[in-house]
Amino acid sequence: MISFQPTVDEIAFRNLARNFAKEKLRPLARDFEEKRQVSDEISRGINELGFSALELPADWDGLELPLISQVQIVEALSAGDLGGVQGFRGPGEAASLFRLVPAHPLFNKIKKTTREKTWPAVAFLNGNKPNHSSSLRLELQSSGGGYLLNGTSRPLRMAKYAGYLLVGLKDTTGEQLLIWLEDHGQWRLLEGDYRLGLLASGFSKIQFHDTVITDEQVLAKGHEAKVLLSQMLTRTRVLEAAKEVGAMEAALDHAAVYTAQRKAFGQEIAKFQGVSFTLADMSIKTQAARHLVWQSALKVDDRDPEGEAASQSALQFAHQSLRFVTDCAVQLLGGHGYVQDFPVEKWMRDAQAQIIFTEGESELLLDHGERLIVGEERGGLHDFIQNVAASNPG
Amino acid sequence: MISFKMSPHQIQVKEVVHWFAENEMRPISLASDQHKRVPDEWLENINQLGIQLSTSSFGDSDSTSEESDQTEKRKKSERQGNRLAVIAAEELGWGDPAIALTLPGPGLGGPPVQASGTPEQKRRFMSIFSRDEPPRWGAYALTEPEAGSDVSGLKTTAVKTNGGYILNGQKVFITNGARASWVVVFATVDQKSGRAGHRAFVVEKGTPGFSCTRLADKMGLRASETAELLLEDCFVPEENLLGGESYYEEKSAGHTGFRVAMQTFDNTRPIIAAMATGIARAAFEYTLDFVQHEYPKHGRSFHTASTILAKAQQEIDASRLLTWEAAWKADMGKPNAKEAAMCKSFSGTISLGVCSRCLEVLGPDGVEGHLVEKLYRDAKIFDIFEGTNQIQHLIIARHLYEPLGVRI
Repeated sequence: MISFQPTVDEIAFRNLARNFAKEKLRPLARDFEEKRQVSDEISRGINELGFSALELPADWDGLELPLISQVQIVEALSAGDLGGVQGFRGPGEAASLFRLVPAHPLFNKIKKTTREKTWPAVAFLNGNKPNHSSSLRLELQSSGGGYLLNGTSRPLRMAKYAGYLLVGLKDTTGEQLLIWLEDHGQWRLLEGDYRLGLLASGFSKIQFHDTVITDEQVLAKGHEAKVLLSQMLTRTRVLEAAKEVGAMEAALDHAAVYTAQRKAFGQEIAKFQGVSFTLADMSIKTQAARHLVWQSALKVDDRDPEGEAASQSALQFAHQSLRFVTDCAVQLLGGHGYVQDFPVEKWMRDAQAQIIFTEGESELLLDHGERLIVGEERGGLHDFIQNVAASNPG
Repeated sequence: MISFKMSPHQIQVKEVVHWFAENEMRPISLASDQHKRVPDEWLENINQLGIQLSTSSFGDSDSTSEESDQTEKRKKSERQGNRLAVIAAEELGWGDPAIALTLPGPGLGGPPVQASGTPEQKRRFMSIFSRDEPPRWGAYALTEPEAGSDVSGLKTTAVKTNGGYILNGQKVFITNGARASWVVVFATVDQKSGRAGHRAFVVEKGTPGFSCTRLADKMGLRASETAELLLEDCFVPEENLLGGESYYEEKSAGHTGFRVAMQTFDNTRPIIAAMATGIARAAFEYTLDFVQHEYPKHGRSFHTASTILAKAQQEIDASRLLTWEAAWKADMGKPNAKEAAMCKSFSGTISLGVCSRCLEVLGPDGVEGHLVEKLYRDAKIFDIFEGTNQIQHLIIARHLYEPLGVRI
């Protein structure tokens, strides 16, 4: 039955997240940005309240919540400050891989530390993303019993603080690999001058120089790696899109309050249709984006074969709407929106950074559209992933 | 629990209505557009099958007052009439929106009668729609030449007289206005009192002084009848005042014809939004099929078509979900004016956009004998009727600013 009513538990968890976002995250947002990291106190709070464990499997002491519940909580948190949420240290995107193959032996160490509540950071390098810069090339060459990895990555979120690195990359023959690295000595940080947004997220490039990747560090290869990566990205897209809806909600609320109070020409500027209609558009886009996120979450939870396409669609719409809504918020505040006395300029910068560091709008649309026209036999993927999980030696 | 899965009953309604749309509406769609009317014989056959357009005919709040009373007794959580109505409306929009609006039944006149009519009025006006009778229609007449979006500017007057009211005025853009057995007409008993003076009357066909002066030619929806109505010293008995005198005398309850009109929109806007979604889906599916069979699977054209179709599917999904939310809220008995305006605004915009971009994909071939060209012409009105997109924005903005103490 079609229903938009969250469960009692979801409402309770969402309210908890909302309060934390309002009372803890929002007031410290500028501080996080200035210090380029989220404070330990906030990180502890996040972990104690269980927000870091939403996606983690139950036998990792995680909450293993369905995505439809997670997206509501993540949205509420991000409405506090997207930059702060993206600066939380923890498993990040890799949590979705842990969820898919919780018993993989390569994860024994991080599983232990996670259960001990020490929450190490994991960075994710998706080497399959289109790369237009010749200086940012990665090469994975088969060598002896393993591989040699060379090159420089694009800037990665959490790279600066990462104790672990998850790498999705094709080797020189085109075979897909998923690699798990837990030795800092295998990579070098190339820190940069980042000013746009999400500045507490620990961005850094990662450089490899004849890094030896042993077969033991390979999580999966070939079709298995491709499927795992695809399933992981499907889940992370939904969660990233939910964060973007939270940021939209923040910008919408702030713009509404400001324009209801600000007077010009003798009346509240809300009474000018150029203002109020813009706010209405912001509201429509935010709500539509939220529904697409919910739809994709439900499809992924239900193992619907269309889940992957739905996640691409939800993230693309969220990107587009986030850009629109945060830009409109700055515009509605006028000069006050541009200066740092108000948070909307930060949210606009964070929004643009968020869009850049996740998958781009064009590639999401193109991939989705090609599936529509050509079609793809994706029915077996879910069975396959279950087989991978079930047959894993760990 | 949040769920976007249809119940077995909802699936059944969708499938039955889709079958009808595909096998009964589509075959006469382009010809009806060309001849600017739906064939009478087709309408008679359809009526005999018991198929009518009623904003409540697919739902729980069915036509008789006894059934409505029963419905009232049900728990709110069991109601799904609005959701069923939008599911069905999307399929009808997919089939042909002009034919859908021409299906026999009370049409947009149904909701005000159901919402504000006395039990006697509901029985009298709603019982005429029967498969055992010739096809009949109801209609809804609010818009005037000088008062469309600004309902408070109504100029049609209703002057109290012995046993009833004398109505004078002109109504325009009235769907099925000429063929309707009765029309819900909005008029003012006192122009100075603004909205408080508004009343809703049921004016029956053949009433002296009540006539159709013109059928409008339009960009699209050509098979749908759009009438101009004239009321010249038209006597309407007081038993045709919707809700009766006492309904409006309870001033504390705030009943006015304006409120009747606005409540109607809260119910009908999601249905209009669903039809717009159906139009967009029809254009999308037609174009997807065309590209799958006619386009090369590589190169620039293929990539352009890919992104256009992906965007179209995304917007259709978003439009449907916004519409479902508005309908769900209505089923739950929650205020849904903001959501109804949001889905109406969004669907009207994307429907036209999707049709336009699909035409671009089809290229010049698309304008000759292809369904999408007609859908494009049909879609534009969904950005206008039942409240223009600008009015929807105004309603949404009012609801956003209301909690902040600003009245716009």
